Amino acid sequence: MIYNIVHSILREAENINGYGLFSFILFFGFFIGVLVWAFLLKKNYLSHMGDLPLDGGEKNSTDKIQSDKL
Amino acid sequence: MNVETFKYDNRIVRAFAIATVVWGIVGMLVGILAAVELFFPGANLNLQFITFGRIRPLHTNAVIFAFVGNGMFMGIYYSLQRLCKARMFSDWLSWFNFWGWQTIIVAAAVTLPLGLTTSKEYAELEWPIKIAITIVWVAFAVNLFGTIVKRREKHMYVAIWFYIATVVTVAVLHITNSMTMPAGWFKSYSMYAGVQDALVQWWYGHNAVAFFLTTPYLGLMYYFLPKAANRPVFSYRLSIIHFWALVFLYIWAGPHHLLYSALPDWAQSLGMVFSLMLIAPSWGGMLNGLLTLRGAWDKVRQDPVLKFMVVAITAYGMATLEGPLLSIKTVNSLSHYTDWTIAHVHVGAMGWNGFLTFSMLYYLFPRLYKTQLWSTKMANYHFWIGLLGMMFYCIPIYVAGVTEGLMWKQFNKDGFLQYPNFLETILQVVPMFRLRAIGGTLYLAGAFMMAYNLYRTAKAGQFEPDTEAQAAPLEKTVAPHGKPSWHRLLEGKPLFFTVLATVSILVGGLVEIVPMFLVQANVPTIASVHPYTPLEVLGRDIYIREGCLGCHSQMIRPFRSETERYGEYSKAGEFVYDHPFLWGSERKGPDLAREGGKYPDAWHFTHMDDPRSTSPGSIMPRYSWLLTQKIEVDTLPSHLIALRRIGVPYPAGYENGPAQKDLQAQAEKIVANLKQGSITADPDKEIVALIAYLQRLGMDIKSAPVATAAK
Repeated sequence: MIYNIVHSILREAENINGYGLFSFILFFGFFIGVLVWAFLLKKNYLSHMGDLPLDGGEKNSTDKIQSDKL
Repeated sequence: MNVETFKYDNRIVRAFAIATVVWGIVGMLVGILAAVELFFPGANLNLQFITFGRIRPLHTNAVIFAFVGNGMFMGIYYSLQRLCKARMFSDWLSWFNFWGWQTIIVAAAVTLPLGLTTSKEYAELEWPIKIAITIVWVAFAVNLFGTIVKRREKHMYVAIWFYIATVVTVAVLHITNSMTMPAGWFKSYSMYAGVQDALVQWWYGHNAVAFFLTTPYLGLMYYFLPKAANRPVFSYRLSIIHFWALVFLYIWAGPHHLLYSALPDWAQSLGMVFSLMLIAPSWGGMLNGLLTLRGAWDKVRQDPVLKFMVVAITAYGMATLEGPLLSIKTVNSLSHYTDWTIAHVHVGAMGWNGFLTFSMLYYLFPRLYKTQLWSTKMANYHFWIGLLGMMFYCIPIYVAGVTEGLMWKQFNKDGFLQYPNFLETILQVVPMFRLRAIGGTLYLAGAFMMAYNLYRTAKAGQFEPDTEAQAAPLEKTVAPHGKPSWHRLLEGKPLFFTVLATVSILVGGLVEIVPMFLVQANVPTIASVHPYTPLEVLGRDIYIREGCLGCHSQMIRPFRSETERYGEYSKAGEFVYDHPFLWGSERKGPDLAREGGKYPDAWHFTHMDDPRSTSPGSIMPRYSWLLTQKIEVDTLPSHLIALRRIGVPYPAGYENGPAQKDLQAQAEKIVANLKQGSITADPDKEIVALIAYLQRLGMDIKSAPVATAAK
């Protein structure tokens, strides 16, 4: 089943010739680069970045506002 | 440490929030009217301004640019200030952005019902409005980048990356696709013709979905979801990969809108492959969103904001799985032109954009007014009625789409089409159209409930125009020679980042589009294809004005089921004088690419006056005004000059007399034909021009074999 799907996709894409290869290599190289970059990032940087939305710098933060309960 | 105190601008956020609610309701109302007209063609009350063909683009524009557009600005103006720890760069620019955008929306709401349209989907607005869009967008960009430059937070959170990609890409797309030659204040012709126009349009159309409906909203998801759940995003690393893979891939996928069309095969296949690869980053993003709620699902049960977000992210996942699947050529051969596509986009629009917008509004109003939401219960009812409305909309339309696709392709055992009459296939799905209208009404009812709830929340609270905030300023980068450096401003991350993002999106666009324009072999010329006659040009203008392409395609795909029904499949060379191309994207009526010579002139006259007199049960509206309105012959010279300027070979001076004579002669011939069918008509009426155009469709190819035989 999956083989048939993959086979059919590859068959339909056969006419793209060099464009397919060029595009694939380009994207693959780019993707690997991003992947390596992302995994080389330091943990404290990532946790600082993740926390950014939670600290808006407001003096009297209204984020604690809760809706009335049902 | 030196800490600065400053204020966030809440007024601009409130203004965009109110505009989001108002235009959302308007856009949905127009959608319901369009939905009703598909099973009750008299719903336009025989008014030309609200026929399906004219209000369909009004609905799409209102939802995309007015509802989602304002929602996007609302979210960005709120989150950007807080992520940068800085007030917006310029309040003046903020308000210019706001009022400029609302003026553009009003201009669209006026011009589209008047039939002033370029006909290019999601880019229908005529050139003066397009220029206004460019100016307002530039103002927004300056304000956004200005805020980023004066930020107090050293790092740019991933949401800002998505905002930057949006600003840059929408500008590139809008400008490239808006290249038109004006032929009057509210009339223009696309610079590109036929296949090239189609490729540019769908490169734009697809990426309008990608970079107007998706990337800014992903940025908003990455901000508002952690805020609402009060926890950081599941994996910041994944969000980085999500961003880069998405912006790089999305731009390549446009040609999947043109599978099995006259577009060269390599471009179609490239579009298909890249669309399939898109599943990976899209699902990475979706999972990142849903996993952010790990351990917080109890909150989802309580908080309507999170409820809406969860459905929005799930709908994003569904739509981004379905989109690539629809891009596989074999699946697309069934789904294209059917209501399947309509169902697909509504999962995205109602689920992803609609529900995320609702969640932001429910999040923002209590905070802007420093109070609690007036009624959580009502917000929960809104959630359920909205979800139900979405189901009632989408499920019947999926059924309708698959039914249409299968019926169009069905042959009987003798090898003939099982349903040779197109109307039969549409009448089969009319009950689904009715259910869809009910679904849309439920969804709108939910939006009304939200509007009331937010109004009561605002009334109960006290609006805070400015929120006071504190943060340390960014440490100035000091150059080795001791002077304060501008290096960070000029070559610092925002600029470098913007260049990188721009390169990423340009690569895909250039690889696809440039060869299309340079390689002659991509559009083989056909000797028998000639420019339209003056009367046909004006008839084509009427076809564009009435939005006929909203229901009728002009692109026969190379399938036996299509060639049996409509005639020979369409060739790229047939469209070299088509400024703009009119291939259409859905069929509520039959394809018209080979309409010429199929029926006598009198049939068209009667059919346009009352479609049900020639096709009982037809869902097409009456176009009786075409029988009384006069052709605007005065516009002919400017239209022919504009077309000549973009390459249609009308002889010099043709517009000063000879064209008018040719027009008159052709009109009188049609009037004589009508007389044979016992119909009296004046040669100066619009119906005559439209008949001339319809009778021309496909005739270049039809006449070619005859010419060969004569030799």
